[in-house]
Parts: sequence; C-alpha cells; structure tokens
Amino acid sequence: MTLFSSLGDGYVRRALLEVVIVGVLCGAVGVHVVLRRLSFLTMALTHATFPGVVIATMLGLGLVLGAGLFGVLLVAVVAALTGPRGAEHGRETSSVTAVVLSGGFALGMALMSTQEGFSRDLTAFLVGSVLTVAPSDLVVSAVTTAVVLGVLAALRKELHLAAFDPDAFAAAGYPARRLDLVLLLALEATVVTSLPAVGTIMAVALIVGPAATARLWCSRTATMTAMAMVVGVAAGVIGLAVSEQWNVAAGGAIVLSVAAFFVVSLVLQSLPWGEPAAAALGRRKSAGRPTYSG
Amino acid sequence: MSRPAAIVFDQASVAYGRVPALEQVHGTVHQGEIVALVGPNGAGKSTLIKALLGLVPVASGSISVLGRPPALARRQVAYVPQADTLDPDFPVSVAQVVLMGRYRRIGWLRPPGRADRDAAAEALAAVGLAHRAADRFGTLSGGQRQRVLLARAIAAQPAALLLDEPFNGVDAVSQEALLATIRALAAGGAAVVVSTHDLGLAQLTCDGICLLNRHQFGFGPPGEVLTPDLLRAAYGGAALELGDRGLIVARS
Repeated sequence: MTLFSSLGDGYVRRALLEVVIVGVLCGAVGVHVVLRRLSFLTMALTHATFPGVVIATMLGLGLVLGAGLFGVLLVAVVAALTGPRGAEHGRETSSVTAVVLSGGFALGMALMSTQEGFSRDLTAFLVGSVLTVAPSDLVVSAVTTAVVLGVLAALRKELHLAAFDPDAFAAAGYPARRLDLVLLLALEATVVTSLPAVGTIMAVALIVGPAATARLWCSRTATMTAMAMVVGVAAGVIGLAVSEQWNVAAGGAIVLSVAAFFVVSLVLQSLPWGEPAAAALGRRKSAGRPTYSG
Repeated sequence: MSRPAAIVFDQASVAYGRVPALEQVHGTVHQGEIVALVGPNGAGKSTLIKALLGLVPVASGSISVLGRPPALARRQVAYVPQADTLDPDFPVSVAQVVLMGRYRRIGWLRPPGRADRDAAAEALAAVGLAHRAADRFGTLSGGQRQRVLLARAIAAQPAALLLDEPFNGVDAVSQEALLATIRALAAGGAAVVVSTHDLGLAQLTCDGICLLNRHQFGFGPPGEVLTPDLLRAAYGGAALELGDRGLIVARS
C-alpha cells in the first residue's frame, strides 16, 4: 500500500498521527453529541467557527488560536441565546442553532470575499488539509485530546445521567447549565482541533459518524465510547490510505470512510442475521452477570 | 396527626415568568404520608412537582420541603419522572439506571463503591426486577421501566419522594409492584407526593388528596376532598352527572 511505503516521509507520518489523535477525540466527544441529540448544534458550531478561521488568517494569528478564541465566543453566544434548558418558555434551540449556523458561515464567506487571492488557502480550512499538518498542530491536538478525555472521564457519571434523564439530573440539584457549558466547550475544542485534518465542514461527520455507528451496535455507553474511538481512528487511517493510494483529497476520503462505516452498519443491522450479530455484541438482552458499573 | 410535617404549602402560587400556573396551594404532607395530586390535564400537577424540586420558582406564599426552601432540600428528595419521557434506545443497563440514584451521594469525580452497588441491587430487588439487572433499560416494558425509575429513587434513600404520573399506561402487575414499594417507603417514614389521573387509585391508596385545577379545590383526607361538589368544581365539563348516584370524571 502506498500509505506504508510513504511512511518514510515526515508529512505522512504526521498526517497518520493526526488522524489517530483526532479519531480518538472525535469518537469520545461524539458519543455525548449523539446521546444528547446535539448533532445539529455540532453542525452549527463547525460552520460558525469558520469565520474565526478566516479572521485568524487575515490577522496573521495562529489558526487554532484564532478559531479557538472565536469558538469560545460562539459557545457563549449559543449558551446565552438558548436560555435555561428545559424552561417552559426557553427559546427553541434548533431555530437559534440554525441562525447561528448560517450566520456564522455567511460571515466567513463575506470576510473571505474581501481578500484577493485568498480562496485557495481557505479551501483547506473548509475540507481539511491533513497532509500539511505541522508538528505544532500535533502538539495542540494531543494536548486538547488529553484534556478533553480527562474531563469526560472525570465527569462520566454526571454526563451519563444528564444525557439519559436531564429532568432527574436537574431535580437532583446538579448544576445542569454549567455541565452543559463544559460539554459545549469540550465540543468546540474538538471542532477546532479537527480543523487541520478534515476542515470545518467535515468535522461534524468525524464527530457524529463514529458515535452514531457505535450506537447501532452497543447497549452500554462504555462499549459505545470504545467502539466510536476505534471507528474514528479506523476511518482516519483508511481515509488516509485511500488518499495516498489514489491521490484523492484526504479530508474527503476520511469522511467517506466514516459514512461507509455507518451505512454498512445500518445495512447489517437490517439484515435478518443482523439481530444475532448485534446480540453477540451485547446490544440485545444479554446473559452476562449484572454489572453495576457507573 | 402527630407525625412531623415534611412538606408545607403556605398559600403558595407558582408562575412561569408572569404567567400564573397554579395559585393558592395550602396544606401539609407529613412524614410517612402519601398524598395524591389530582386534577384534569393542565391542572398544574407537574408544575407543583417542579416547584417542590425548586425547578420552578414560588411566586407568592411559600413551599417548605423538609424545613427548607425546595432548592436546598434536593439532596434528600427523590424524583421519579414518567418512564415514557426517556429514550428507550439509550445505551444503559437497568442496573446502571438504578445506580444513578446513588450519584448525588457518591459525589463528583468518585466511582461508585461496594455500598452503592449493594444499595442499587437491593432497590432493584424491592421492585421485583433483580433478574433484569443486566438488560438494556429500553428492552423492558413501560411498567417495568417505571419500576426501575422507582428503584433508582429508593436507592437514593430519600426523605421525600415525588412521582409524576407513575401509573400512566402501566400494567396491573407493575401497578401493584409500584404501589407496594411506595407504601413500604412511606411506612419507613418518607413523605410521598404522587400525581395521578386515577381517582379510584388515589382514593384507595393515599392518605391525602390535593385537588387542583389552576388553583386548589381541596386538600385533605380522600373522603373530604373526593366529593361530587368539589370534583364538579375542579373538573367542570369533564364531570358527568349520574343523577343522585354521584358523578363520573372523564379522562380528558
């Protein structure tokens, strides 16, 4: 395979390492996105982060720093606009999200159009450019992944309960809004970190796809998380291999791999023998001993 | 009644923003008592439960739960939502759902310990579903899911228990199991508030009735509150006269 023969090149090694790191991060965060049905919000965050990328490039700031700062601002705006979650008279989240999505993207396009000869570089930010990942990007990805995974692991009990039964979570006196904010920040950090690999538009596929695939097979959140990370990494490596082999854009190939995992899983689940296969993975009633693990 | 008061409503009104949802609730739930919130759809039963949890503010008057404002009593209060409001596809086992009742007690960052697992297993056994511990929550019937949520509440060992329409769409076996468990919890000293559409069930099993429709029509023993006059007043057109033999309340 071309991928293995080209591993001697530093940029291919860096690209491989980047897709592995981003695959783990997106898989883990994606589980929370899928379980809380935040796919649409994720879509909005990825699109609305786009103007941050443009501004950062125009000002000569670091891409990740610029997008990250803009992302934090964005999270604050979304949190402020949606109001207290679960309140009877709170605004409908999906409309707010849709406006933020299109508004953010339009701002990015408008800013981009003011710059002569700018558009070619920005294609990379839209669909990703994993083969130009710099060592500093790798460090940022690794650190973000370590921090986000640490936060998700530390808060796993509370995040699990909040996702499963938000009313009971609030009723138990937990600070539901603050936990939502932490998750939103983790999500935005993931979006910003995935930018070099798959770009703003396709980051959503890498976050939602592996988790949605894992959900089809798993009956426990822990196994779902593990499988989502494996699918995220596998899609990244396969996409990169396809990209090297046939000289197609890496970002596109990675997202197509994600889509393939999901579609194949859907088909397998709908086949007559899909049920026993799922049961073997513990999706249906299992004969195992009771596990009271949190 | 010599038992100490657990929940005290003092001319309490509850509002969402400026829209009043429920007015002039006045009465006391003592420890060990089961009180039913009864009234037509939209009467404010769920709103009153949210107010008891401190999730909806009290606009005027006051509500006291275990001697404190509702928001400060949450750690000793367990809430049982309607099972059908939860995602049946959620990847979580029955045992894990019950264990969630212990999370507040365990605290942030710590994993559940031996005592928590034992308490969860015991609570699940109390609702008669110990044999389903390893199954995915969504594979259970509606009634069984409701029992699992009650087990989760019991695992928290609460001083007050709030249940939102626990008998809706529940089969007879699960209804019996729910009632037996609720009674046992009340016998152990917990104050229980349960909202229900089922007037017959409320009359048979509860020590007190709070009859609501936007405001309170009665609060007291079933014999004093579930009278034709009060029911007619609370239910309006949904109450059907049966000549001199009483009346039927149609479920809206």
